[in-house]
Parts: sequence; C-alpha cells; structure tokens
Amino acid sequence: MRRREWFKAAAGGALAAVAQGQDGLPEHPRDLVFPKLTYDPPDPAEYRHELDSGSVAYLVEDHQLPLVSVSFTLRAGSYQLPKESAGLASFTGSQIRSGGTATRSARDFDEDAAFLATQIGSSVGATSASGSVNCLTQNIDASLGMFFDMLENPGFDSERLEIARARSLQGLARRNDRLGGILSREFRRLTRGDHFTTVQSTQASIQSITRERMQGFHARHYDPRRMFFSVAGDFETRDMLRRLNEALAGGWPSETVEAGDIPAPSHRPEPGLYMVDKTSRDVNQSHVTLGHIGIERSHPDAFKVRIMNSVLGGGGFTSRIMLRVRSDEGLAYSAYSQYQPGTYYPGVFRAGFQSRNATCAQAAAIVVEEIERMQNEKVTAQELGTAKNYQVEIFPRFFATAGQVAGTFANDEFTGRETDYWKMYRQRILDVSAEDVLDAAQDHLHPDRLVVLAVGDTEAMLRGNPDQPGYSFESLAGDAGVRSIPLPDPLTMEYPEA
Amino acid sequence: MLHRILRSLLASLLLVATMAGQRVEVEEFILENGMKFLLIPREGDPNVAAGWISKFGSVNERPGVTGVAHLFEHMMFKGTHVIGTKDVERDLAIIEELDSLRAQIQSQRADLLEKQRLGLIEDPDDPANRSAEHSALIARFDALLEAQRELVVKDEFSQIYTTNGGSGMNAGTTNDFTIYFINVPSNKLELWFWMESDRLASPVFREFYAERDVVREERRLRTDSTPTGKLDEQLESMFWQSSPYGWPVIGWPSDLNAITRAEAMEFFDTYYAPNNLVAALVGDFDVEELKALARKYFGRLARGARPPGAVRTREVEQQAEQRLTGRAETRPQASIRFHTVPDAHVDEPALIVLSAILNGRTGRLYKSLVLEQQVAVQAGAGVDGRKYDGSFQAFGVAAPGSQPEDVEKALLAELELMGREPVGERELQKVKNQQLAGDFRKLQSKFGLMLQLLTYEALGDWRNINVFSERIQAVKPEDIQRVAKRYFTDTNRTVALYYTKEGAGPPRGRRPGRLPEGDPR
Repeated sequence: MRRREWFKAAAGGALAAVAQGQDGLPEHPRDLVFPKLTYDPPDPAEYRHELDSGSVAYLVEDHQLPLVSVSFTLRAGSYQLPKESAGLASFTGSQIRSGGTATRSARDFDEDAAFLATQIGSSVGATSASGSVNCLTQNIDASLGMFFDMLENPGFDSERLEIARARSLQGLARRNDRLGGILSREFRRLTRGDHFTTVQSTQASIQSITRERMQGFHARHYDPRRMFFSVAGDFETRDMLRRLNEALAGGWPSETVEAGDIPAPSHRPEPGLYMVDKTSRDVNQSHVTLGHIGIERSHPDAFKVRIMNSVLGGGGFTSRIMLRVRSDEGLAYSAYSQYQPGTYYPGVFRAGFQSRNATCAQAAAIVVEEIERMQNEKVTAQELGTAKNYQVEIFPRFFATAGQVAGTFANDEFTGRETDYWKMYRQRILDVSAEDVLDAAQDHLHPDRLVVLAVGDTEAMLRGNPDQPGYSFESLAGDAGVRSIPLPDPLTMEYPEA
Repeated sequence: MLHRILRSLLASLLLVATMAGQRVEVEEFILENGMKFLLIPREGDPNVAAGWISKFGSVNERPGVTGVAHLFEHMMFKGTHVIGTKDVERDLAIIEELDSLRAQIQSQRADLLEKQRLGLIEDPDDPANRSAEHSALIARFDALLEAQRELVVKDEFSQIYTTNGGSGMNAGTTNDFTIYFINVPSNKLELWFWMESDRLASPVFREFYAERDVVREERRLRTDSTPTGKLDEQLESMFWQSSPYGWPVIGWPSDLNAITRAEAMEFFDTYYAPNNLVAALVGDFDVEELKALARKYFGRLARGARPPGAVRTREVEQQAEQRLTGRAETRPQASIRFHTVPDAHVDEPALIVLSAILNGRTGRLYKSLVLEQQVAVQAGAGVDGRKYDGSFQAFGVAAPGSQPEDVEKALLAELELMGREPVGERELQKVKNQQLAGDFRKLQSKFGLMLQLLTYEALGDWRNINVFSERIQAVKPEDIQRVAKRYFTDTNRTVALYYTKEGAGPPRGRRPGRLPEGDPR
C-alpha cells in the first residue's frame, strides 16, 4: 500500500503554556500536544474487479513480503439444512480440505501443501462457506492449482470422513463439561428458540453424514459465480485477475440451486431467571449472562447503540460494568456487555461475568443497576468523549494490512453493507450526543425483558453471600421464580423432564 | 531496492537448498540508566506496536509469595502519584492505614486458620466464626476503603489510553518474564513514553486488596473451573522437582490470600529497575525522534543498585520415571514429558525439528496414531525452552475404543523410532521449508514482531530471532537421532494419563475411555 503523509505540523503557537513538572516533563498527559493525523480510508472502488464468471474480487497489492493470500466467501451454510442433517455443512467444509481431490489422494494433497509450506483452509459455517490459500510468491502456480482443484473436484476420501466422524462423536460426548460452553448453548436456546442457530448435532445426525451427501452439498453451492474473493500480497493485479479467471473458467460440474434466504428467528424470549446446576467439579465459581434481543446492523440507531454499550460494558476497563463489578468490588476477573447488531436479523444484547458462587447474585444486581442507570441519567461528558474518541482514533486500524482492506470490502459486498459505511463511519460516531445515548438506552435496553442465565453451583448461588445479605437471586427472579434447566444427554440432545 | 531484488533472488532458491531466511533488522540502543530499546521502523498504517518487559517472572519468586509477579502486573494499572488520584498525599496516608488494618485482620484470620487446622471450625471465612474484634477491624477497613474511593479517579490509566486511541492494551506474566503492551496511533507516541515511564517512576498500589480478589477470580476461572486445570497444575509441580518452575504463575491459593502490598513493592524495587527492562517498538516512527523521547522520559528513572542474580535453585536430575493417573471431565488422553534443555541451548534446534517432524497433518504422530493405527483422534508434540530449563512433550487423545495407555504405548514407539532410524530427507526438508516461509509470515504483524523481539530478549538475546532460523536449517538427521537417544530415556520420563470422569447429567451407557472399575494401577 502506498505510504500516506499523515502528519501535519502542529499549528504554530499551540505549544505555549504547557504545564511542566520539576523534571521538565508535562505534568499530566492532558498537557501533551500531538501533531494532527489525517487519514482517509481506502476506497473500495480502487480495488474492486469483476471476474469473467460474474463474481467479484478485491485485490490489494502489498509487496513488502513475498507472500500471497487468496480467500473467498459464498452463500451456503447450515441454515439451508434440516435439523436431522446437523453437522453436514461443517463436515463438508472441513472434508473439502481433508479429503484430497479427484486426482490427488488425501495424503498426497497434504504432503504437497506441507512441502510447499502453503497453508490451505476450507470451512462452512451457519450462513457462509469460505476457503483460503496463503503461499510464498514463488509457489503461486502450484498453490493456486491445488486450491482450485480442491474447490472444484474435492475427493471426500472415505477414510478421512470416518476419522473426522470418530473425533466429532467423541467431542459430542464432552459438551456438558465446560461451564462456558453450557452457558452459550443454553443462552442461545433461551433467546433464539427454534432456529437454525440453535440446532445441535447429535450422534444420529453425525452418523447420517455420508460422502454422497457432502458431494451433494458441494455441488449445490460451490458455484464460481457466487464467490466473493479477497486477494492480498505480493502479486501484480492484472496477472492475478488472469489467474482467477482461468481457474474459474470452464464451468465447474455443479447442480447449483438457489442459496435461499436466511430465516430470521421468530422466538420471543421469556424473561426471567434460569439456572443450570453443574456442580461436579466442586468449583467455587459460576458463570452468569443477562440479555435480550437487540437490533439489526442497518438500524438507524446502530451508532448510538454502539457508543451506549461502550460506556455500559463494551469499553473494557473504562466501562461501567467493569469498573463496578471488577475494579470496585473485586467480584470478577471478566465482566462485560456486548451489543452485537445482527447482519441479517436483530442481534442479541448480553452482559456477563464469572464470580464466586456466593457473590454471583450481587454481581448480577450490579449489572442490572447499571443497565437501569443508563436509562435514567445521561452519561458524563468524559464517558461520552472517551467512547467516541476511541472509536475514531482506532479507525485506521481496520485497514492496517492489505489483507484487512481486501477482506473487509469483500465481506461488505457479500453481506450487502451500504457503500458509504466506512466513509461516514467517523462522522456518525462524532454525531452521537449524550441525549442520543440516553435515547438509545431507553429504546434499546430492556431491563424488564432480561433473560438471566446462571450456570454452576445453583444451591450455593441461591444461598448468596453472608457478608452481603441484601443481594439474592430470588429477588432477581420475580414472580415466575427460579426456573431450572436440566443438562441434556450430550449424544441425543434430549432434555430430561425437569 | 537492491534489498528487494536480493530477497526475491534468495526466495527463488527456497526449495533447492538450505539458505538464510529473512533477517530482522533492529536498531538497538541503551540509555545511561541501562534500559534497552529495540526499534523497527516500518511503513504501513499510522500505528505503533509498543511494549516493554521486565526480565523476571514467577521463577524469581519464593515460597510464600508465589503469584506476586502476576499480582504485581495487575497493580501496574492502578495509577501513580499523578494518575488515578485527586489527592496523592491523603491517598498514600489511607493506603498505609489500610495496610496496618489488614495486618491486624490477617492475624485474626490466622487464629481462624489454626482452628480450621485443628478441625474446630470448617470455614475460616464464615462471618459467624469471627470474633467481635475481628468484625470491628473489617468494618473499619471497609469504611476506610469508602473514604479512599472519594479520592480515586477510577481506572484513569486505562481511560487516558482509551480516549487517545490506544488499543489492545494488556500485560502478561510468564514463568520467566513480565510483558506490558499496547498499540498507539503514531502521532501519539509521546503519550506512550509519558504513561509507561510515569508508572515506572512513581507507581501507587491503590485498591490492592480488591485487585487481589480479582486475581483469585482469575485463578478460579483459568485453573479451578476448567476440566483439567487442577490436574495440569499437579502435573507441572510433579514434573519440576526442585525448580521454581514447579509452582503456578498465578500462585498457590494460600499465598494469593496473604501477599501484602509491601511484598509486591519489594518485587517492584528488585526487578523493575531500568537496567532490568527492555522496550520494543515496531511501526511508523522516526528513529531519532523516538530516541529523543526515550531519553527525555525513561532517562529520569534511576539505575538499580545491582542487577538481581540468576535463579539459584535449579532442577535436580530425575532418577526414576514419574506417573500421574487422573480423572477429569475430559476426553481420555496421555502425555509424555522429558526434561531437556533451556532456550537457545545447542540441542534445542534438533529438538524443535524433531517435534515438527512429529506434528501436523503430515507429521508422524497424526499419520501413525490417527490415520494408521487409529488409536488416537489427535496427537502432537512440543518443545518448551525456558530460561533456566526446558522440556519436550508428546501427547495424544485416545480414539473411541482405545485407552490412554494405548496412546502412551504408541507415542513411545514413535519417540523410540526417532532415536533408532535417521529421518527421511524429504520430511526434513519439509520442516525446513516451513521454517523459511514462517520467517516471512512472522513479519506480517507489527504487534507479533514486537512480542517476539521482547520474548527472545527476555530469555537471552533478541538476536536469536535471526540465529534461530540458521540453526534450524543446519540440523542434520544424525542430530535428531542423537537428541532423541539422549533425552527420551526411561528415568527422564513423566507420564500423565487422564481418564474420563462423567459429570452431572442423565445416566448413560458405558463410554469409550472410561476408567474401568477398580484402579488400573
């Protein structure tokens, strides 16, 4: 990337009257005067290219190191599959990489990639499939050849499938082991209900995966016309375009079907207190999450909500939840809130922490207090300034490397983000006022709708802290009382009657 | 320009013969007080990755204060004479009074611990067991904390960095060193110099006792509440017989409850003098400007009286195989560990190449244990070269139908083969090719490069980042055989077998890898 001239000399005379201490240094950081930094984000149009296949590629050259990286994303995922096929999408993704190609055995494929020191990856997630190759410039022919051979003619070696299946089944059996894992799974179930994001693979669904079904998934979705490429590193743009066009030409054998819309969840979460008893390790710590349904990425309040959450619990050590739960009270190592807007449908707001069993109720009460305080008082000028300045100051970091530039723009186009998003980003942050933050808190935080989930030693959590008898989980539960969620059988995911 | 042509020429020879990898060019300079700076100016985004280390960690602790290096690291974010307070004089007076009250509370608690030792009470932290005097002391302590709260400017240190666009701020403590790092916008580099030199010049350990509770939560999170955390900790302290590497970086619970602020200050005075510190900066800056800032800000720190000596207590030679059999809510697994060599030892490159030949999708362990014998679903090996000592470890997770001891047997067979037969030319070249490509990949991230420079320097000398690659390229098949024979011996071996313990949940049928009825040994 080109070097830009960032600094403008500080205006003359601005250096006057700087407070200095005994050693001649400024007394406080606020007395420091910094040169101005101007930065313009890269323009996507400069890197965008349409390929012969009709797909799109963002190419960003960077010749500092003799490395080339090519990645793609396309629309395919577990959202397209029925529950009984849970696991098929992710297996297809990983077996494209592990199972060799039509003409190269799985073992030879691995050996060749390893000898070239070329890194090749493939995966399928909930709403997208992706693949990547990273190689030394001098190995680009062989590496791209292997990569596209793998994408066009995956071998789906049967033996590799069985090895992956055995490992997966063993992993299923262990999914009630970790408090954090149980917490995310059950919180998603409580907030999303019956939705593709809450579908869990089972022994039966993993056993139903066959080579033919993976081949079918691949043939239906891996269409070169649908790939969004991001390419970064040591190449010449024209040469790389020629390579991509050649690799994608010839019409891959495919029975492409429409990708289909991503279904939005229709579940309305039931607020209240839910607990999962998990005491087998005799550990004096439990995990707690509180949250509710949030907003979509395209919501006009998205930037206000971002700043609001930053003050509440998204801003690390400078946010309120961290200050009170960790710094003031020493109740938790990690305490946070996140308000992740959804790309395709409303996301989820959640706050959480881990604490001693006895102090979980106290920490949860503090979090609720802080959520309510966001709705009742305006944030201070300093809080607002810190949250906004941070977002503005770190902006250049989004585009720090050629890979980030190409990847960000390709992903933006893939997910249909508005084209002036980055151009307007800093201004939209700067426009947020303390009133906006208050409005955002009142409109988009819902203490009355909180789903509170605690996983750990239920009895000890309910007993509370003898030093702080004022706090209890029962008072958080309200009229509905404490609802207990049993652990499911990890192989069938059937939940026993409570 | 010439540099670039030369580099592409070299790169084109990559797969043909051994050659030197990408060298990292570093500008080094040392202040009069002994503090060292490592600088890599680099164009790119307007940001600088900045960090510094103290070359001391938990290995420099002693029994009674285990965990103090890490607790101290937390305290470095609590402010200074300038940052974090409205009235430093009053603040310091309160801190002193808090310490004195805390000492009295500790002596009360010692009485309760004695009662617990004798079995007279169960929980020394149950308020019902406290004497009236004990409770009164706690009440006074809490009241004083409230008074101090009025003076504290909460997390001002973090707030200043955040509002100026500092990102990724954190710190870490290891056995051998403690590291502090952040990314700062390049026009605000002077802020980094101000903030970091200030917290070294006049740190104030306010909120010490609340922060100690935070660290206890961190211990519960990282060790106590993970399925194998406590077993791993026991294994570590069994493996190291006399070396201080045997105690956990986060500290033993008894010590975490008792470390005093004075003990943390003592650690600071001994190990944080500028002559024990090294800083590294990678990014968009002018070297001369940066040197001037370094002199201006860090130059004010006074050189320490005498650098602390090397750790005295070293590992004794192991005399017999050690075994640990545990049960945890985890997959059945085996690990085999040997004492080997410290970082930068002449045998280290051969051990690293050896582990690389065992590792990965095309490594011997995956091919033999996972693909062919199907005794494991996952297997790997690794080298852990620390400052004073080192170890080699191989591990595997048992496949359904196999037991940890089957994995142990298969791992041992592969290790034994490394000593018996020379490795193939192609598999050795594969490892060397990956090393050379890795030399370029590791330069991609400014932040990663800063961390690597500091890590190399903490263990010995940053120059090893360059020497390392050449040493790897020079490893011959006979070197690998030699180190395998030398270190993979029966009496130098520690074996850990973890069996599956089922947790709470609905009753189910027998699972593969469950411990058979009765103890197997």
